[in-house]
This record gives sequence, structure tokens and C-alpha cells, in this order.
Amino acid sequence: MNTTSPMAFQIQDLNSWYGERQALSKISLSIPEHRITAIIGPSGCGKSTFIRCLNRINDLIPGFRVDGQILFKDQDIYRPNVDPIEIRYRIGMVFQKPNPFPKTIYENIAYGPLLWGARRGAELDAIVEESLKKAALWDEVKDKLQQSALALSGGQQQRLCIARTLAVEPEVILLDEPCSALDPIATARIEELLLELKKSYTIVIVTHNMQQAARVSDVTGFFLLGELIEVGETRQIFTNPKDRRTEDYITGRFG
Amino acid sequence: MLANRYRTDFLFRICAVAMLLIGLGTLAVLLIDVLMDGAGKLSWSFLTSFPSRKPEQAGVLSPLVGTLYLMLLTAVIALPVGVGAAVYLEEYSKQGWFSRIIEINIANLAGVPSIIYGLLGLELFVRAMKLERSLLAGSATMALLVLPIIIISAREALRAVPPSIREASFALGASQWQTIWNQVLPLAFPGILTGSILAFSRAIGEAAPLITIGALTYIAFLPDSLLAPFTVMPIQIFNWVSRPQRGFHEVAAAAILVLMAVLILMNAIAVYLRQRYQKRINL
Repeated sequence: MNTTSPMAFQIQDLNSWYGERQALSKISLSIPEHRITAIIGPSGCGKSTFIRCLNRINDLIPGFRVDGQILFKDQDIYRPNVDPIEIRYRIGMVFQKPNPFPKTIYENIAYGPLLWGARRGAELDAIVEESLKKAALWDEVKDKLQQSALALSGGQQQRLCIARTLAVEPEVILLDEPCSALDPIATARIEELLLELKKSYTIVIVTHNMQQAARVSDVTGFFLLGELIEVGETRQIFTNPKDRRTEDYITGRFG
Repeated sequence: MLANRYRTDFLFRICAVAMLLIGLGTLAVLLIDVLMDGAGKLSWSFLTSFPSRKPEQAGVLSPLVGTLYLMLLTAVIALPVGVGAAVYLEEYSKQGWFSRIIEINIANLAGVPSIIYGLLGLELFVRAMKLERSLLAGSATMALLVLPIIIISAREALRAVPPSIREASFALGASQWQTIWNQVLPLAFPGILTGSILAFSRAIGEAAPLITIGALTYIAFLPDSLLAPFTVMPIQIFNWVSRPQRGFHEVAAAAILVLMAVLILMNAIAVYLRQRYQKRINL
């Protein structure tokens, strides 16, 4: 791995449980800044659980707990004095199914900035426009900002969700299988967008689509049964995996 | 074999239609009976006159206004309390034995006979809090009566809001309060409204708990404050029906028609509000 680039996350011995059931065991890995890190693995391997630990959104699930350490820019995000709300503000998330609010396109983007003190008016209009442009959605929706977000296609909705995340100017964007509900063309557009966004953001993407990981990511981690089996430069993982199980998975022998 | 199944299908359909007709038919007979007795009495002066000893001069002004005031005040008390309780139970409380006990108790409270609430209101509001036989005491009692239904229906409406909406809001760094106020409650509002209207429709026809707390049966003035004495339509109807004179039975029938009109109006407003809100959500 490229050791010169600074790390956004440094994760040490992360364990997590849903009630009695352990979902992650002894995960240790570093996620570099301004790179795309892909997490791959078969269903139920803990990859979604893992990414949902990074912005503490799993705190909302009753019975969920973690131990170990997640350092985000040298701050342990699970320390008791850390405010999860601030963590989620700095670390944005896009979900598997597009989940726009049942409001107008404008209101979807404006919601985050308004929470954080933006005022309605020219300033907010500018944030909305810029966010939509960054998410490559502006040209398609600029004439219907006051229409319902639910009227957009699935791919547009997902880009709207990305724009909504960008509007609060996070440092990291987490994407949990963002294309699993989309067709190949919409998927390609999202992938293009991610390559553009990595210039300014650290991106972590969970995907069950190995081609997608190979196409967009710089670093890939392979999860199996709650453990991190192997992590490395994407090219190395896909051409020369060190672990037998990684090789079996990427060559399609199971999963 | 196949013909046999079609026959069963047909028979079942006939049965279902018959059941529907029994329900509708009973309602129609009731309505026609009341209409025949009371329609002749309906007039503007019937709505604007006070009750009287003479059936030909009797009107429903004071019970009608009493009912409207009472329902309004009941809503003002019961809605914030009921929705607040539902929000706490659905959004904040941890699921465990404690919340399950609360849940079972609320469900049971919804089935408690209304007269029991009247006795509670008499002890608590009329005597302990010294509100006397006032509009406020009556509304508070009615609020107790409708609270369980409002809480249950509001919880259901809150539960119907997709978790993905909450997650989307939290992921932007919203607090729980911001998420509930901006995203969850607006989506749950139509459902809460529907449930609440059902609850108020039950309350508007109640006489027993109000008789228990001592609401009057004859009033020749309008309540001018929250602490004024009052009467409501069902009590007035009950009073007229139990009189021997034929004339009062007609007056009672006319009052029933007025009460039904109020009920329909209330429901219509609820449907209108719900549609409007739904449209705002779907745009």
C-alpha cells in the first residue's frame, strides 16, 4: 500500500455485536485520504456493518455495540466525549436504496445545510446549485427544483442522495452498495462521479460487485464471515491475492 | 370439479354481500326513522334557540355550542399529550419489559367503559382539582377517554414511517429531535389525524362520563369561560327522549340529525386535511 498518503481512518481490533451475535471480529485496517477504498465480500460478511461503524449510524440500532478503536484523523470516534452528530456531519453516508425525503429536490439538498445553520436565500440557493453540480445532476433537474424528488428515476435519486450528502461538506463519503438498485447505465454514471469526487473527498464504498471494486477503487479489502481476510492495492488484490480465500472469491468459486 | 369451485366462490360472494346489506340496511332504517321524526323540526331557529319546556320552542343552541367547545378543548388537551406520548414510546424508549407493560396497559385502557373515565374525572378534576362541573373538567375527562386511541394510532403512524428516512436524516448530522420534527412527524401526520378523528367521533357521542361528572341537562346560556357549566348534544338528546310528550321525541330526532351533521362535518375536515397533506408529500 502507498504509505506516503495520509490516513483518514485507522481501525484497530474492531469487534462488534448485534445483541449476542458477533458481526465483526478483530478488524484492523487503514483507509487512506483522497482515495476510494472498496469493501467486498459475500452477503452477510459484515461489510455493511463495518461501514456503518465508521459514522456511528449503527448507534441507532438497539443492542448494537462495538469495542476496539476507530481513529478518524487521530480522534477515537467511539470515545464517550465524542458527539456522534458531529461525526455524522463530517462523515457523510449514501445508502443502498435511494432514500430521498418525500419533499422537493431543493428541500432535499437544503435540509442538511439548514440543520447546520444556513439561512434561506441566495446563499442556500448557491449551496443547492453547487451540490447538484458536484453530483452531476444539475443539468437534469435545474428546471424542476420545486418538484418532488420522488418523481426522479432511481439513478437520479441516488445522485440526489449524493448531492444531499455533499451539501454539508463532509470530509468522507461512505457508500453502502449505492448501485445495487440501479441499472448498468445509472451505475456507470455513479462510478464516473466517484472518480471525480475522490479528488476532494475520502471515499469508502461497500459493493458486492467485484467489477465495480476493480474499476473504481484504489484499495480493496475483502471481508468474510466478519473478518478482514486481506487488504491491499486493488490491482494487487485482483491480480495477485495473497490469501487463498480471496482468490476463490474473486474468481467466483464461492460467494 | 372446477364448476364446483366456481359455485363455492359465488356462494361466498353472496354471503359477503348479504352481510354488507345487513349493516347498511340497519343504518338506513335508523336514518329514515330519525329523518321521518325529526326532519320537520329542523330549521334555523332550531339551531339558534335554547332548550325550552315547550317542545315547539325548543332548540339546540346551548348543547350544540357546548359540544363544539368541548370537542375543541378535548383536542387541544389530548392531541399534544397523545402524540407526545406516542413519540416517546416509538422514538425514544428502549424496547424492553417496561415499554411492553405500558403498551399492554394502553391497549387495555382503550377498552375501559367510558363511565369509568367519568368516575375518574369526577374525583380528579371536579373534586381534587376543584374545577367544578366546568367545560374544562369535561374536556379533561374526554381527553382521558380518547388518549389511549390517539396514542395507539399515532404510534402506528410513526411506525409506518420508513426507517430509511430516519437514517437519511441522521446521516446528515441531524439530532433526534430535528429528525422527528422535520421528517418523521410530517410523514406520520395524516395517519395521526385519521386515528384522532376516529377517537373524537367516539367522544362526541358520549353522554355517560359527562353525566357522571355532573354536566347539566338544561342550560339557557352559553358557556363564557373554561370554568363555565355546560351541556352537550347526547345529554340533551337523552333528556328529551326520556320525556313522555310526543313533541319532545321529534325534537330529540332533530337533535340527532344535527349531531350526525356535526360528525360528518368533522370527518370531512379530516379527510380534506389528510388529502392536502398527502398531496404536499407527494407533490
